[in-house]
Amino acid sequence: MIWRLDIILLLFLVATALIVVRTKDLLAAALIFGAYSLIMCIVWQQLSAPDIALTEAAVGAGVTTVLFIVTISKTTRREE
Amino acid sequence: MRKVVVLCSLLICYVLLLFAVVNMPSMGDPDSITIKGPPGRGAVPRYLEKGAEECGGENIITDIILNYRGYDTNGEVTVIFTALIGVLAVLNRERKKISFSDMEQSPVKHSVIVYTIVRILLPFIFIFSLYVILFGEVGPGGGFQGGTIAAAAAIIFILVFGYSYSIGKFPTSWRINFEGIAPLTFIAMGLIGLFLGKNYLTFMFPQFSHTTNLTIARSMLMIIEIAIGVGGAFIFTSIFFAMQREDRS
Repeated sequence: MIWRLDIILLLFLVATALIVVRTKDLLAAALIFGAYSLIMCIVWQQLSAPDIALTEAAVGAGVTTVLFIVTISKTTRREE
Repeated sequence: MRKVVVLCSLLICYVLLLFAVVNMPSMGDPDSITIKGPPGRGAVPRYLEKGAEECGGENIITDIILNYRGYDTNGEVTVIFTALIGVLAVLNRERKKISFSDMEQSPVKHSVIVYTIVRILLPFIFIFSLYVILFGEVGPGGGFQGGTIAAAAAIIFILVFGYSYSIGKFPTSWRINFEGIAPLTFIAMGLIGLFLGKNYLTFMFPQFSHTTNLTIARSMLMIIEIAIGVGGAFIFTSIFFAMQREDRS
């Protein structure tokens, strides 16, 4: 556990979570959500849970982001 | 007025969650009551001490999720399958004939660099997914993760080579056989115990059934892991195909 790295990661986590909720551009929101998943993956690794980190990287940062982007490409990009 | 009510309820939730977090054991604390449990009856010491010899997997996490908490994983696998059913209920895959001319265009315009890189990378991604599935017994990894990586490889394939080409490579009539394979295999493994006169899923527990040895338990772990991986990969690919089929209308 490197506690300085952890604090930076957690601050980024909170920041990305807030930006995902606040941003109106859905494509940007989906990409930032991918970044959120990536940070969460490193946090899981820091908590010595490599299994969950692998799942988070594959499902959260990978497939979910792609599904969001495909949905946005089939609908509209801007939030009303 | 409404904002005040929302803020107050959020604050109450926050305080309650804060209390819950304070009461959680601190990470890696060996003396915590949650970890140790009542003397002689705690679950975690049992998992750590006897997991490998009782379940056959070197990775304790795999032992826990597939053996000790097999019911839980059985439900989880069913939930993923239900997600596919839900997606297909909304985006019906047989509802209309697709006009292939709309789908002919690959989303990525013809770029030699993208084609070449994807063509080189795909086999490695597939082999890595197989490695993650098979390595799940001895290290971090397992069916869910490996299956999702394989599905990601399939999604890259669909994105780059276009819908009509990919549906020719993975036809629906062929994919449909594999989508339910994970819950079906899990339930079949559980029912073996019932047919032998034990409880559901007991055949996987050598310490309870006394009918089998460690090799059988280990191979059943492997079979279920592979089934979860294959099923998960096909489920994610089918969800992606169903979403690709919808058009902008």
